[in-house]
Amino acid sequence: MSDVTLQQSFLTPKRVEVLRDYVPFIAIALVILLFWALSGDRFMSMRNWTFIAQQTPVLMLLAFAQLMIVTTGSIDISIGSSLAFSAFLGALGMLWLGDGGLVLGIFAGGFIGMINGTIISLLKIPSFVTTLAMLIIVRAAVIIMSDGTAIYITDSSVSGGTNISSVSAPWLLSMGKFPAIFIVAAIVAFAMWVFYEKTAFGQQLRAVGGNEKVLRLVGINVTAFKIKVFAAAGLMVGLAACVNLARAGAATPQAGLMIELDAIAAVALGGTPLTGGYGSVVKTIIGALTLTIVRNGLTIAGVPPSWSQVALGVLLIAAIAISLNRSRIDVVK
Amino acid sequence: MNDGSTQPLLTVENVSKSFGGVQALRDGSFDLKRGEVLAIVGGNGAGKSTLIKVVAGAHVPDGGRIVVKGKEVPRSEHNVSHMQDCGIEVVYQDLALVPNMSAPYNLYLGRIPRKWGIFVDERKMREKTREVLKQLNVTTVQDLSQPISSMSGGQQQSIAIGRAIAWGSDIVILDEPTAALGPNETAEVERLVEDVRDRHGTSFILISHNLDQVRRLADRILVTHHGVTSREFKRDEITSDRLVKAITLGE
Ligand SMILES: Nc1ncnc2c1ncn2[C@@H]1O[C@H](COP(=O)(O)OP(=O)(O)OP(=O)(O)O)[C@@H](O)[C@H]1O
Ligand SMILES: [Mg+2]
Repeated sequence: MSDVTLQQSFLTPKRVEVLRDYVPFIAIALVILLFWALSGDRFMSMRNWTFIAQQTPVLMLLAFAQLMIVTTGSIDISIGSSLAFSAFLGALGMLWLGDGGLVLGIFAGGFIGMINGTIISLLKIPSFVTTLAMLIIVRAAVIIMSDGTAIYITDSSVSGGTNISSVSAPWLLSMGKFPAIFIVAAIVAFAMWVFYEKTAFGQQLRAVGGNEKVLRLVGINVTAFKIKVFAAAGLMVGLAACVNLARAGAATPQAGLMIELDAIAAVALGGTPLTGGYGSVVKTIIGALTLTIVRNGLTIAGVPPSWSQVALGVLLIAAIAISLNRSRIDVVK
Repeated sequence: MNDGSTQPLLTVENVSKSFGGVQALRDGSFDLKRGEVLAIVGGNGAGKSTLIKVVAGAHVPDGGRIVVKGKEVPRSEHNVSHMQDCGIEVVYQDLALVPNMSAPYNLYLGRIPRKWGIFVDERKMREKTREVLKQLNVTTVQDLSQPISSMSGGQQQSIAIGRAIAWGSDIVILDEPTAALGPNETAEVERLVEDVRDRHGTSFILISHNLDQVRRLADRILVTHHGVTSREFKRDEITSDRLVKAITLGE
């Protein structure tokens, strides 16, 4: 009885509101403490944190791409295929044009995003359906183009066998390792924060997610804007593909398989409602980091991979259930 | 107030609009002089909102013509931006606010001021919003960063009205602006309409179901009935009887 009153007086609606804003931070702290308690120094070592710092950036960039789109109320489930396509074109670009050809990978992502955006806003086909189709088509395109083989990035000019395509780019491989990859990720994260929080474009993402019809009524060209959003997100996927190329040392047709789900999960773990209108870059970073840490911690703790997946699913639903402010969301679809 | 020799600010001639099979507007015709308050009355579904949406550029009419300041609006340019450039602003019946955005953002919707081309100039937006709210005598809005959905209906209405008036336009269209307001706020809005008209010579088109309000504010009254602007009354010809008859029977 006295317990209840205590709880009521402490958890005023206002406090719950404030607390809810911090759920992603509380969640990541709990997750770290949990794995520290479970695995001790094997988890809490410099070596392991370096590993986490290398693992997170690709997911984080993909989560940024997803965040832009989700804020407008759409979704993009084609980014895994787009990542493979972009990485492949980036590698091809380097084969054809030398180091600078890597930018082809970034533009490839932007190109696919632009196609998605055009189909969605001009033909008015829901983003889920459009990007589902694109997920299948683009993956198939990569397999056809690559003939099922990979392009390798090597760190010496000694070329392998005649059947293997490889590019010598030691600089790229070193970009995929700890200090460099972390610095790149930090710079992109800061740029993304400025873009999302401070620019007119970033604010308009939220406004489109809030009420697109109203924007049309005041004369804003929402159709063109949405194409730009998907293209911008695509460029971010292209960048992620290049980072992934540096990490993995190869462009393979299987790259990024199912990673779109991780990107969506990271955004959701960051407290962003998938219905659009709200979002936060900092919390999305926390979401991506949480996801990486949980994967890593479960592996270190010796949990079999299938059970890890179950644990991740449960975590996702729990985090969203707690962090979403449902009074702010009218409809759930 | 106006010398009568000047051409009308806005002329609407035989404008029509259907949605699928529904002919929402069959024949909308009226003109509006500078500094005039024209009221549009009519039953529910009479086509009032459709008529003003055409004037606002939100709907392209099926037929008819619209002349603003002596220049006919070509069909190819019949859109919201063009009408805004012509000095026409609207407070829509459902307000046209973005619920998850702040009051300053809604006030500046479609006109976000920028620093260095890309950054939002938040200070400028906040200052102007304070100014507009002060002009409207709205003192209850304290936190300008909160989403507008957490404000009361009346407060949201003030933002919508403030937006239409803030941009110094020549014609402000108000579609049932006081429907959600209490008596004090209603009086405030009415005072503001007269004030802005007297100070800036702004013309108003007022859609209202409140006949007392219409008689208080309007210089002329236009009656719509089944999609036709069927009758017009001058201020001094208005008796409630004749008006009610016109609204219900179209005569
Ligand atoms: N976008 C639309 N699509 C289909 N029908 C519409 C649309 N807008 C209006 N209508 C129809 O056109 C007719 C006139 O509607 P309108 O909103 O202009 O009436 P109104 O005079 O403003 O009514 P009220 O006093 O209820 O606001 C109605 O029958 C309505 O159902
Ligand atoms: Mg109406």
